[in-house]
Amino acid sequence: MPVQDRTNEFMACVDSIISRSSIPSRRDAKQKLLQNGKSTTKSEFSRMASGIGKDISSTNIKLGKLSQLAKRKTLFDDRPVEISELTFIIKQDLASLNKQIATLQAYVKQKKANGSKLEDGKQIDEHNKNVVTLLQSKLADTSVAFQEVLEVRTQNMKESKDRTEQFMYTTSSAASQPPSSSVLFNPRGDPMGDGSPSRYDSKRHKNGDMLALNLEAAEEGSGSQNGGAFMQMQMIEQQDSYIQSRSTAIESIESTIAELGQIFMQLANMVAEQGETVQRIDADSHDIAANVSGAQRELLKYYASISSNRWLMLKIFGVLIVCFLVFILVS
Amino acid sequence: MVKIYSISVVLAPPSESCTVLATASDLSQYSFYQKGSVAEFMSFFSRTVVDRTPQGQRQSVQENNYTAHAYNRGGAEQLAAVIITDKDYPVRPAFSLLTKVLDEFIAKIPQSSFLNPSSISFPEIQIYVSKYQDPAQADTIMRVQQELDETKIVLHKTIESVLERGEKLENLVDRSNALSAQSKMFYKTAKKQNDCCVVM
Repeated sequence: MPVQDRTNEFMACVDSIISRSSIPSRRDAKQKLLQNGKSTTKSEFSRMASGIGKDISSTNIKLGKLSQLAKRKTLFDDRPVEISELTFIIKQDLASLNKQIATLQAYVKQKKANGSKLEDGKQIDEHNKNVVTLLQSKLADTSVAFQEVLEVRTQNMKESKDRTEQFMYTTSSAASQPPSSSVLFNPRGDPMGDGSPSRYDSKRHKNGDMLALNLEAAEEGSGSQNGGAFMQMQMIEQQDSYIQSRSTAIESIESTIAELGQIFMQLANMVAEQGETVQRIDADSHDIAANVSGAQRELLKYYASISSNRWLMLKIFGVLIVCFLVFILVS
Repeated sequence: MVKIYSISVVLAPPSESCTVLATASDLSQYSFYQKGSVAEFMSFFSRTVVDRTPQGQRQSVQENNYTAHAYNRGGAEQLAAVIITDKDYPVRPAFSLLTKVLDEFIAKIPQSSFLNPSSISFPEIQIYVSKYQDPAQADTIMRVQQELDETKIVLHKTIESVLERGEKLENLVDRSNALSAQSKMFYKTAKKQNDCCVVM
């Protein structure tokens, strides 16, 4: 949720409560006390701290705007100029906030070294240290949110790039995919948001302009430690680096191999189906062979019976002719 | 048309100027009179780019038709390698080639002779120039990708022929069905002949 500025409401509430309360005289005394009590050095500290707090809240508001912009998933209405400008501004703010907190902490240390009053002094020191820790933790939260927003932005950019590739996909581009993937040299706002807890000079040396995102938790130094957690952040924007292009090339090889596996499986399926068909043909041809041989047997029998019948037929004809002759001789 | 013009190994100490330790080039497409000036341009370009490349970083610079890919390796030997190609040469194999050249150079040439550039003999660099003129063959990853693509094409053809085979088999099945029916009828008729017309 973006940071909202409700100071006016708060002041209105305070005014209404004051007007309702019945201790006006105490208020004057309190005011006098307030004016006399704080020394100049203390108010200096609170001034610095409040300044830093204001900056942090304004940075948070900007970050909210950036996250809204980054969440948009449209293909064409992307506004990279605005986003990169805003990113740059937020980066600068974070760096300056970092420096301010550093000076504040140095100031606190120096004040402590200068010797402080006994009882009040210790409490004041504690309070100062706690305030510094609070500011550091707020800054840490802001930077973590910034990092997440940049990651979301990378994701969306990658998705939109895939979708544009889908719409403009042709077979020729498919054939030339491997070499073109390594020539993708567009400077993209790709954050390398890995948040690795390393020191200030651990830049990853991959390509020309890259800044490192380092996040050292302020929560490590529990406020009572001295130099404890000095939080530093540098955001990385990186072009398509050599190693990334290598990994994309290898990923494309891997996907090609997976496709080949798919193709082989399809091939095996088709051959198995066709094997069944072959079995049917085989059974049919067996039937044909059986039928034809049976028919041949019948025909042979027929032929045998016919040829054997001839003798009988001759005999029958002979008997008929004899009867015929007998009839003619009688008549 | 992808082409390598030259490869150079340069000694690049971080604060001073750099010296070229080994270089090889392929300037066959230039006429005899141009070769000298082109070679000078190549060496100047290489040295300038290496001077401007911080240690441990890779960089690509384009100038007219020439692109220089530089990899400043730094490390103990403070070496850098530059390759000058035309615009179409793919970037990633260029850098992997540079890494390979540097590794071989470091393995072969002892560090002591870095101060004496003329004594360094590294003929493999010329072999690299000629071999990598076609990166699709020489670079491992690209070659693997190419072979996989060829295999995929072959498999596509195979699947098409298997589909044809399927069609022909369907054809055969139908015909063998018909033939089986006909032979059955043939058998029955023959049998009927025997049963029906018994003559005496």
